[in-house]
Amino acid sequence: MAWEYSEKTKQLFMDAVHGKPGTHMGEIDDPDGVGEHGSIACGDAMRFTFRVRRHATNPLEDVITDARYLTFGCTSAIAASEALCTLIEQGSYTPIQALKISNHDIVDFLGGLPQQKIHCSVMGAEALEAAVFNWAQKRGVDLAQLGVDLHADEKDEGRIVCKCFTLTEPYIRRKIKELNLRTIPEITNAIKAGGACMACHHVPGGLQDLLDETWGGGKRELKILTQITLPDTAPVQARQSAQSEAGAMSPYQFAKKVDKVVEEYVRPMLRRDGGDLEVVDVKEMLVYCRLIGRCQGCSGAGQTLRMLVEQTLKEMVDEHVRVIEV
Amino acid sequence: MKIVYADNNATTAVAPEVVEAMGPFFTEKFYNPSSMYEPAQKVQEALVRARETVARHFGLADAGAIVFTGCASESNNAAILGSAKANPRRRHVITTTVEHPAVLEVCKDLERNGCEVTWLEVDGDGRLDVGQFVRALRPDTLLVSIMHANNETGIIFPIEQLARVTKETDPAIVFHCDATQSVGKMRIDLAQEYRHVDLLSFSGHKLHAPKGIGVLFIRPGTPCRPLLIGGHQEAGRRAGTENMPYIVGLARALELAESHFADEETRVRGLRDRLEQTLVATIPHVQVNGRAAPRLPNTLNISCHFIEGEGMLYQLSDVGICASSGSACTSGSLEPSHVLRAMKVPFTAVHGSVRFSLSRYNTDADIDHITTVFPQVVANLRRMSPYWDQQRDAPRADAEELIRANPRS
Repeated sequence: MAWEYSEKTKQLFMDAVHGKPGTHMGEIDDPDGVGEHGSIACGDAMRFTFRVRRHATNPLEDVITDARYLTFGCTSAIAASEALCTLIEQGSYTPIQALKISNHDIVDFLGGLPQQKIHCSVMGAEALEAAVFNWAQKRGVDLAQLGVDLHADEKDEGRIVCKCFTLTEPYIRRKIKELNLRTIPEITNAIKAGGACMACHHVPGGLQDLLDETWGGGKRELKILTQITLPDTAPVQARQSAQSEAGAMSPYQFAKKVDKVVEEYVRPMLRRDGGDLEVVDVKEMLVYCRLIGRCQGCSGAGQTLRMLVEQTLKEMVDEHVRVIEV
Repeated sequence: MKIVYADNNATTAVAPEVVEAMGPFFTEKFYNPSSMYEPAQKVQEALVRARETVARHFGLADAGAIVFTGCASESNNAAILGSAKANPRRRHVITTTVEHPAVLEVCKDLERNGCEVTWLEVDGDGRLDVGQFVRALRPDTLLVSIMHANNETGIIFPIEQLARVTKETDPAIVFHCDATQSVGKMRIDLAQEYRHVDLLSFSGHKLHAPKGIGVLFIRPGTPCRPLLIGGHQEAGRRAGTENMPYIVGLARALELAESHFADEETRVRGLRDRLEQTLVATIPHVQVNGRAAPRLPNTLNISCHFIEGEGMLYQLSDVGICASSGSACTSGSLEPSHVLRAMKVPFTAVHGSVRFSLSRYNTDADIDHITTVFPQVVANLRRMSPYWDQQRDAPRADAEELIRANPRS
């Protein structure tokens, strides 16, 4: 994948990486708000902390003064983290006001992001929400009473739709509405859902159903796929005849007999020379063996197998036995 | 800025000797080799010579086994779909979970069309279990398709052995090998130890020929229907007017590779080993993927725990170093490398993988440049990783816990 990042994105990433003054990489000790989003398994994760200037009496008038991030992720994830912190500090927002910063603001600040990287900006907005939720708990602010609907717990609850990225139905439903997602590729670009195994795209209750239920998409016609029928596998002639000559022995009995002969006759002979033999598998008349110990890597190994092992088995089990070295 | 090119498993620089050999076929030798007049016959002779050169490289007396194609992906498609088509009574295919997509996706397509596919898994060092392979062979197996060397890790599978076991079990099973990464880097004798391989694919641009030329070796007598039909070229096995300049270039590139085998085994391996040892010694919490398995002499796949690969590549690129990564962010999908995941590389490391792949054009100075720069690149990103303890310069004590709290599924 070539890099299609804006100059602003590249610049913010390089500044952050080199720890330039004015960048926001880090973690605030004893923060007023802390939020996390993502996981290492999914390929990006962010820890976002902020400090407020506390208002003496009314916590709703707390103003965010410092914002910091630690981010595990790609170039654009780090640039988006930088953008989020800059936007918050520049605005002198209260935590509630800060919630208005959406992933679109982050994308605009970065001068655009490639479609498949939109989820990096969504991660910033989600970590911010979680941190505001945390601040509200610490300061005793009742967000529900203020009519602020946060979803910090929603990701842990509800039926999991996208198993690869552990995303739940309530979360995906909310994001479809919030971000005005109309197609499965749009969902994948924004929140990664359906981006890996793709099994959740069209199953009942999957992404397409959630889209249809949200936007009232018509039920699509049920398509009947015609099954391609193929002729049965033809029996392999040679094997069949070999098997019939093996007489009344079942595969189990045959394998047991091979084992017994190997154990009682073959291995003692090999052990005398410091070697040994392992039977890897027995399939019909084919016995797959591996020489071990001193026999292993010996230039006469192939010959040993044929002369000693195969000959013994031919004589004592069945004349059709073939030994294959593995 | 001087460019250090360490991404030779992606593509290679075209050798000047190859460019020189190709030149005349763009100008005075432009003729269609199938035409009757005398200048065209000269081109036809060049085609015959090129085919013989390629055959000789693999120890083959019969040049008719060499079919020129457009790329290794085409060769893989033709080999797999062609054998399935030629043998409709058998419906079982064996391959591995770490193949290149040009094999993986084609096998998935066969699966969708009614074939059964056994996907062999690899262990933590990227190795196949021969016992598992033996158990997978069935009376209705039509094809085994297993790569020689892995493009991401350089791990080499014992193709000589697997092909022999296959053919000794049932000569009617077709054995295909995608050798795109190994041809030109190691000797492959299709008349000696690799004599049980029926089909073998590779492309020119991994061995200092240009992009747009590939080969499919088809051992005489192997049932394989052509993918492209409608022309007599390549004895009817691949229709389309021969791409003369590129065919000549590929033959020249194989000759050059032949003369550099010793260099690849000693000097290039030495460079790779020094790069590996230095990085492992100077950077904490790294792992070399596939270290315990036999590997190509030119490839190093190293994972740095707790950071993401794209940020590393970007910083490397900023100082002129070209490498690649198995991280999700560089793959164009949202999934990290299927090869590293098949090897059960932990999630803390799979996103932080970087592949350096060298060629005969790399020097000691290149390795010095990478080893000087790379530790700082890693440190920069760890400084901002939520899983890293800045004071101790080690993973956070609760990093494992943080990861467990966000399980994958």
